[in-house]
Amino acid sequence: MKAKITLLCIYMLSISLLTACFDATELDELAIALLIGIDLEDDKILITAEVINLQYSSDSSSSGNVSVKYVQGTGNTVLEALRDITLKFGHRIYGAHTKAIIFGEDLAKKGVMPYMDQLFRARELRESAYVLVAKEAKAYEVMGVSSGLEPIPANYIISLIDSIRYNPKTIDTNMMDFVKHYYHMGRHPIVAILEKRQKKGINQTEKEVGTKDFELSSIGSAVFKNDTLVGYLSGNDTKALNYILNNVKGGIITFPTPVDSDETLFSSLSTIKVRTKNDVDFKDGRLILKTKITISGNLGEIGGDMDISNYESLEKMAQACSQTVKEGIEMTVKKVQREFGFDIFGFGHVLHKKHTEEWRKIEGKWDDLFAEADFQIEVVTNIISSGLLNKPLTVKEK
Amino acid sequence: MISKRIRDNKELFITLFNNSSDFVAYDFETLSNLKIMVCYIEGLIDRDILDRDILESITVNVKKPKDIKKFIMTSSIKEVYSVDEIVNEIVYGRVAIFVEGLKKVYIVGLSKWDKRQVDQPQAESVIKGPKEGFIEDIAVNKVLLRRKLRNNNLVYEDMRLGKQTKTMVSIAYIKGIVNEAVLRELKNRLNKINIDSILESGYIEELIEDRPITIFSTITITEKPDVAAAKLLEGRVAIFTDGTPHVLIVPRIFVEGFMSSEDYYLRPYYASFLRVLRVIAFIITIYLPGAYVALQLYHQEMIPTVLLVSAAASREGVPLPITLETILLIIALELTKESGVRLPKNIGSTVTIFGALVLGQAAVQASLVSAPTIILVSITALAEFIIPQLSEGIVVYRLLVTILGGFFGIYGVVCAFLVITTQVVSLESFGIPFAWTWAPLNKTALKDGPIRIHKRNFIHRPLAIARKNVKRQQPPRGEGS
Repeated sequence: MKAKITLLCIYMLSISLLTACFDATELDELAIALLIGIDLEDDKILITAEVINLQYSSDSSSSGNVSVKYVQGTGNTVLEALRDITLKFGHRIYGAHTKAIIFGEDLAKKGVMPYMDQLFRARELRESAYVLVAKEAKAYEVMGVSSGLEPIPANYIISLIDSIRYNPKTIDTNMMDFVKHYYHMGRHPIVAILEKRQKKGINQTEKEVGTKDFELSSIGSAVFKNDTLVGYLSGNDTKALNYILNNVKGGIITFPTPVDSDETLFSSLSTIKVRTKNDVDFKDGRLILKTKITISGNLGEIGGDMDISNYESLEKMAQACSQTVKEGIEMTVKKVQREFGFDIFGFGHVLHKKHTEEWRKIEGKWDDLFAEADFQIEVVTNIISSGLLNKPLTVKEK
Repeated sequence: MISKRIRDNKELFITLFNNSSDFVAYDFETLSNLKIMVCYIEGLIDRDILDRDILESITVNVKKPKDIKKFIMTSSIKEVYSVDEIVNEIVYGRVAIFVEGLKKVYIVGLSKWDKRQVDQPQAESVIKGPKEGFIEDIAVNKVLLRRKLRNNNLVYEDMRLGKQTKTMVSIAYIKGIVNEAVLRELKNRLNKINIDSILESGYIEELIEDRPITIFSTITITEKPDVAAAKLLEGRVAIFTDGTPHVLIVPRIFVEGFMSSEDYYLRPYYASFLRVLRVIAFIITIYLPGAYVALQLYHQEMIPTVLLVSAAASREGVPLPITLETILLIIALELTKESGVRLPKNIGSTVTIFGALVLGQAAVQASLVSAPTIILVSITALAEFIIPQLSEGIVVYRLLVTILGGFFGIYGVVCAFLVITTQVVSLESFGIPFAWTWAPLNKTALKDGPIRIHKRNFIHRPLAIARKNVKRQQPPRGEGS
């Protein structure tokens, strides 16, 4: 019995000597990366990481003045570049809190999949990190710009993408989505872009120069063919894309007010719920893409003398709204068919899921079929409420 | 053997009490020259009554030895023949009256000594509900309980335990409700006790509990008569010990640790909220420091980024590893707690302020410990204070979880959880499963577990404990459960 207890004690004590094997890391030794930018420079991979700088004055305990540092490393593989950082920075990059991966345009045009391998292979990185493309720039050029309320640039960038809730002119593709869409039959990935812009006027009186003169914009999106960047969509096209992808989380629709007037006046509907159903059909050997969109929303603004207190005019408003959405989406689909000629809307995926047999037959020529296909769209708008006003303020009551 | 002669008896008893200065053996003669001796211990009896009402009456009236009983005017009198018994009675504050020519002794109950006032218990204070608590005197305690249960079925059975202390121990139960098996087992275990001293009920607790190696006690301790009454009404048995306000009650189930007498006096909804809060507090107070250490060391990806950043920033410049830091703070907390209890009250508050200032302010400013750790250990302490009945087990297990969490991460915390749960589930209290109502699950008893339902639906006593006469009330007409 005594021998057993002694043995047990020895075992337990020896376990405490093995802690290093369990990968314990004290928090203050971590280099928490929030953004990872990947570029190609001189045929080598250049990694730029935004790392939280914990070294701020100890007397202020608020986290308001958290700052970040940028570290860079090069190598032939992503991992080599990441480890290259350690000898200049002194810490291993800890990727579990990475919010976004930014690809430089040069690299994206060559195909991003080879560089994704490490990110998925290592267990640290989250698949929920957004995938972004720096439009007409290197990844490190868009990093470090913070024009929002957030002190940390990474959070600013994330808030730009998350603002899809208010304005669907961007897209929120994360790493998981990207790879899923890459593997989906008949679908190509779309990711959000970051565009660096000089601010207009505001900062001219300020003496500060540098990153504060710039802001980022995530309006629009980048179109990938498989894993290669081939072009960009404008904000409105991205919005139409989101409508077809059933990815509208909020935002407004602006449409011409249906009144007889010389000048064109506009009204806006803020959407509450948008539901999209896609379908694919064949008729006389021609491919027909079908989309049915149901929009519910509140009237946010009415321009012109539109008295919506009666049912007919409300119906007119709804129809005008539907018409605008319909025209916008038709335009975008035509543009994509003409300019890109491959399916970014996932109609092929719908067909694959629904009629696998038929899909097998046309699998190889789907992109060509898509480019030639007819597009039918049906939009229904339900106006749920008109805000606090019935009639526009311009209508005088007698 | 008692002699017929007073002189022999006097010698015998003075020898028996080793000439102790507080032992009084006073012999005198009545008016009719009958020799009488009274023996008692100074300070344990009411001498006014003895002198005025008994000795005077004896001195004046007694003529023949046999008449003496007629003139001892008290209802508390008995005749005793053995020396041992007389000694036992004398040390309990009774007066032994010897009469020349009689081989028996009259024992008169005149005990009176200074006792503490019935007061509010320190450990189990309530806002709503009776404020009185047990005191050190067993007779008063029995009265306090009897006043809650004015019932001829409330039975007290006395016994003396401890060869040196000869402490009076009394078990109380309600005949007809009590679980007979538990009662039998308890008497059996009490009879097996063969120890020289019982100074507090804690002695008995350790000597009668089911398994010595448990950190959670399987015996309830209370200072409140209303709690004791409520438990007896559920079929339990109470053990009163002379000299302590702490009354033991068996059997105990784990859920009782989350209960307070106030739960039954408040509205059921708020009471249920409090119970759930206590369960949460129990989980927090045991597992939070361990989980905190494990997350910080091994699973940083599970901490939200903002929290991670502020936690990491506050760790900047702290010399100790997080596990050691947390353990040290837990020990510091225990130090503060203990010094607050041990020291005289007026110094106690100084210590608390000093400890709070030094630990809370200065240690963080000097970067010796990080602020989140202090906050976390403080929350742990607060959570512990709302479940005082379980705190003995909590402190030990908290350290276990913290150490395992520090060495093995969440894996260690889960292991500790398994150890604790296995221990709780495997315990028994006088044959009743300790984790009863949960394991084995009993639906009717769940009504008085982590939630307390309305009293209208309290139909049954806890069924594992009460085996007969299980209905507490007739369900109101048209309703049932």
